[in-house]
Amino acid sequence: MTFDPAQREELRQKFVAFAETRSPLLRGELVTAHLGLAEYLARRFNNRGEPLDDLVQVASVGLLKAVDRFDPVRGVEFSTYATHTIVGELKRHFRDKGWAVRAPRRMQELYLRLGKIIANLSQEIGRSPTIAELATEAQVSEEEVLEALEAGQAYRFASLDAPSPGDDEGDAMSSRLGVEDNQMEGAEHRATLSPLLSTLPARERRILQLRFFDGLTQSEIATQLGISQMHVSRLLARSLAQLRQAADA
Amino acid sequence: MPNDPLATDAVEAVDLSVPTSPELVRLARVTASGLASRLGFTYEEVEDLRLAIDELCYALVGKGHVSGTLRLHYAIFDGSLEIEGTADVGADSDGRSPHLSELSELILDALVDEHSLDVEGLHFRLVKRRV
Repeated sequence: MTFDPAQREELRQKFVAFAETRSPLLRGELVTAHLGLAEYLARRFNNRGEPLDDLVQVASVGLLKAVDRFDPVRGVEFSTYATHTIVGELKRHFRDKGWAVRAPRRMQELYLRLGKIIANLSQEIGRSPTIAELATEAQVSEEEVLEALEAGQAYRFASLDAPSPGDDEGDAMSSRLGVEDNQMEGAEHRATLSPLLSTLPARERRILQLRFFDGLTQSEIATQLGISQMHVSRLLARSLAQLRQAADA
Repeated sequence: MPNDPLATDAVEAVDLSVPTSPELVRLARVTASGLASRLGFTYEEVEDLRLAIDELCYALVGKGHVSGTLRLHYAIFDGSLEIEGTADVGADSDGRSPHLSELSELILDALVDEHSLDVEGLHFRLVKRRV
């Protein structure tokens, strides 16, 4: 996006004025003037498994931050400064969403689809489905199922507090766990086994206890907590990775 | 091989050699889940196996700051998979010694049927059976 010299000078003056007055009106004008940049950058992250509308939204938040933080006396072009901030915001969005930005969209979609298939099939046949059964149900090859499961686990080394991809279960689970606080006593007792366990959030600690100390299967834990089995699997992998790193720290 | 007197021998075997970086240890997981899938393991069993491999590979080579090679041997039996890993670590080792915490031991007990870590020989072994 380009501005002619007169527009550029007008914007520069607005930035100087905004730096002094912090006027919401000026702020709005400055953001609006640069929305094209936010949209342009959002498009560059399109086709990676997130809706473009969401990306534009995220980029706009980045733009807003850039407008607020930009210092016009430093002699850096606003577009340069804003690009850096907006791209940072977009990357963080993907990281928080848990997707490695490289994971192909097709695999992300298959992974999310498998989550539902695993839940339905498990219920139908009364046991955990085999990979072959998942492949048949999803109408893809076994290799694709395995690749999707691996791609879905790419969050492993991503932010530990981030919500999991495609999940709106996080809140439901934490509120549920709040109610079951009295049941945490067992876990607290077990925690004396390793102070490392106490570095985990309560819900992860509870899942670890159910799986490794009480011997429940992933699907049993999923049923008990009212979340998907795939989510249990993700949380387990993430917790174990966190414990290993904590042990080494 | 029901009539084979050596039925305990592996039906098939796969060897894999990867640099000790976390990015490539991923291949150890992918190979294991591919073989487990051939054996008809369930989703849960495959997930358990992947977690166990992560745990043991990490015990052996840590975060991968140590340059070296991780050699994996996968032996496929009738209904079970045995995986052995050996680390060839270069002279620039960071002095970190392989180890399993008490917690890791417990976790592995729940994930696989057999497991061991030979600290001296930089070697691990695990067995996962299909239910």
